[in-house]
Amino acid sequence: MKYKLIRILDVAGLQVFQPLVLLCYGEEPRHQLKQIALYIGTPVLVMAACVWMWNFLGPRHKTRSGEVPTPWRVVEAYDGIVHFHNREYTKLADYEREGEAREEALRKAQEDLAGLDQAFLSLADEADGVLESLAEDDPSAPEAASTQDLSPRKIAEQRMAMVDQKVARLAGEKIAPSQHLVDLQADVYRHRQALRQWELQQQAEGLTSGDTDRRVAYVDQVRDHQSQTDQEQAHLQQLREELAKVKQANTPEVARLHRNLSYLQQQAEFLKQRINLLTDGSRAEKLATVGTELETAQADLATAQGAELFVAAQNVLRQEQRLARVAGSRLSTPPTFFDQIATSLKCVFAGFLIATVVAIPVGIFCGMSRVVMASLTPLISLFKPVSPIVWLPIVFIIVGGFIEKPEEAWVQPAFLSSAITVALCSLWPTLVNTALGVASIDQDHLNVARVLRLGLWDRLTKIVIPSALPLIFTGLRISLGVGWMVLIAAELLSSSPGLGKFVWDMFNNGSSETFAQMFVVCGFVGIIGLLLDRIMIVCQRLVSFDGAPSGL
Amino acid sequence: MSTTTTQSPAIGEAPALELENACVGFGPSSARHEVLSKVNLRVSPGEFVAVLGFSGSGKSTLISLLAGLTVPDSGTVRLNGHVNPLPGPERGIMFQNYSLLPWLTVFGNVEIAVRQVFPRLSPKQRREHVQRYLDMVSLSGSEEKRPAQLSGGMRQRLSLARTLAMRPDVLLLDEPLSALDALTRSVLQDEILRIWDEDRRTVVMITNDVDEAVLMADRIIPLKPGPEATLVQDFPVTLERPRDRTTLNFDPRFKKLRNEITRTMIELNQETKAHATETLPAPPTIRPIRLNAAS
Repeated sequence: MKYKLIRILDVAGLQVFQPLVLLCYGEEPRHQLKQIALYIGTPVLVMAACVWMWNFLGPRHKTRSGEVPTPWRVVEAYDGIVHFHNREYTKLADYEREGEAREEALRKAQEDLAGLDQAFLSLADEADGVLESLAEDDPSAPEAASTQDLSPRKIAEQRMAMVDQKVARLAGEKIAPSQHLVDLQADVYRHRQALRQWELQQQAEGLTSGDTDRRVAYVDQVRDHQSQTDQEQAHLQQLREELAKVKQANTPEVARLHRNLSYLQQQAEFLKQRINLLTDGSRAEKLATVGTELETAQADLATAQGAELFVAAQNVLRQEQRLARVAGSRLSTPPTFFDQIATSLKCVFAGFLIATVVAIPVGIFCGMSRVVMASLTPLISLFKPVSPIVWLPIVFIIVGGFIEKPEEAWVQPAFLSSAITVALCSLWPTLVNTALGVASIDQDHLNVARVLRLGLWDRLTKIVIPSALPLIFTGLRISLGVGWMVLIAAELLSSSPGLGKFVWDMFNNGSSETFAQMFVVCGFVGIIGLLLDRIMIVCQRLVSFDGAPSGL
Repeated sequence: MSTTTTQSPAIGEAPALELENACVGFGPSSARHEVLSKVNLRVSPGEFVAVLGFSGSGKSTLISLLAGLTVPDSGTVRLNGHVNPLPGPERGIMFQNYSLLPWLTVFGNVEIAVRQVFPRLSPKQRREHVQRYLDMVSLSGSEEKRPAQLSGGMRQRLSLARTLAMRPDVLLLDEPLSALDALTRSVLQDEILRIWDEDRRTVVMITNDVDEAVLMADRIIPLKPGPEATLVQDFPVTLERPRDRTTLNFDPRFKKLRNEITRTMIELNQETKAHATETLPAPPTIRPIRLNAAS
């Protein structure tokens, strides 16, 4: 069992965790602990240090999308993404629910919506609490709000608005003295500037023409005046910015209430949509409506005469088509983050498959024949360094030429061109490694093939490919890594659905929320890339007969 | 120098394997490096011939010539009368460095040969065939191991099993026991002799060990070291079989033969060296100046 575990770790390229297994079996505990501290503890510490540094430096850089999000903001953003995903999928399922299940779901949604009322009310209470605590600073009585005839949601919104007003007024009051001082300072500066200007003008009157020295001195004086004015303006600007900061400073309590309120509002909207989908908007409901219309049309057809018959027949046909369309319809929802991941993975594997299918046979031919190698080397060297950003537009146009009606094609041109771009960029490592593996096959093994009189096919499948397999897999592993990296860029550029497009949409949105979501994408791209690489390492270890150690 | 090596135990019988004035060389014609020059060899069916040579004297080139893996530049190789035949399983060659396929198991390494040579066997028959030869070289129980997990002696035995399983007419052994320690070596020598004794196939074995050659072969042919290596006068071994290595050391005929062969080998080596120095440019004739020439 112990050796089995170690073997699994070894195959998976996770030898780092070997001391943990050995420790569990009580083998040289001191040595194992030292190993764990050195090779697991230290990396964890370094990771922690990096996260701390991010947390420390992030908020200190202001951008037009707010400050750089801290790790905690990124985790929150991830929560938001998951919420969005769950809601969209619940709606999708609601649309297709029928009969008993639909009623059950409807009851549940209504209950949830009623439950939200309670949450809104408690939020309103909290807001009242804040109002009271603020009232100590500001004795002016809050205007009595009538809570009659208002839904709990409205009450909560109203209370929050009152809190905001109060906070703003308090902030205004708090900074009023400072504001007054700043205004005074501005007046002082203005008067000084006017005075200096007047003096300079007076001096200018006294200058006679031809007195060069005094004129040069005068220019210097004007320069001094200007730089002094600039300094005064800068000082005022700084004072005003400080004031604005004080004014905008929100207490964390109020900020939290705002976040809660917006979450509750979203949830309420979502539940309303659900209820709508479960009643009138559901597919079953729509089918029933169209069905009755069809029946009416058929009844008309039975009684129609002459020219009316033609119109009635057309109507029946139209209703039948509508019925078919509604029966096959799905609720169209915007793709969520996880849909985009699935699309990206599909795309990268499609591209990887194309690359493999092209690269391995070509590589084998290159490795077997020096003539083929020599004739393909210029092509390979020429196209290998071309960047995906160059390939994509070219491929996009070429693929566009083949697919004239994108909405009817079985594959989206954007998807296809992303996949082909991935293939074009990722086939080189496989090709070169395969050629190398085949070319460096042991002459003795080829002699065995000659003595056994193996045919071309047998020689390929029984001697050449097995012998080159470890190197082929090394190439495939590099290819998959390159492909995944290229894909995100390709999707970003071509707006084909996927993680790249998700990042692009987030970038264009430009709010601090979406800024944090871009960090989430960054993490996910890394984790998926890591997993793909691990999978390839395991494959490589399983096919390699020489037991070569795999790198990290 | 042309040497006739026509003496064999069965004079007049058509040779199984024959070399006639075979030459092999490398390099462009301007700077030709002759490895083998005008080699003549006739091996009768059922004969066990040992070719004895110093390392680097062209022994491996000779065996790949016999196997058909190298085509002679001039002269001919004949196998049962066929001129310069392509390599094939009827001449089973056991390579010096085993040439096992590392991605196949022990069983698979033998099976790939059996499947190719006897395509008509049913899977069960094939399995039995492979197993028989693995048993013969005492590799039973290691069928599922990979070559990398075997010791040097086991790899050598596996290579032997693969060669034997092809049931070749001619067995070509290229220093089959060179990489082994003395003890394993003697065990395998006995094994090869036992297997040969079973159906008396034609064997050409390359070796650098005089004792081994005398112990195993019917006829020993020294290879004059290269460049331009060639086979010289052969030594028939008339010691009766089975030869016992423990008593052989005290047999006067064995001692005489061994000394004779060893002497020939050393002479051949010196001859070659002398030949090599002859080709060096002659040193200029310099004489000491006689200062007292007048006296």
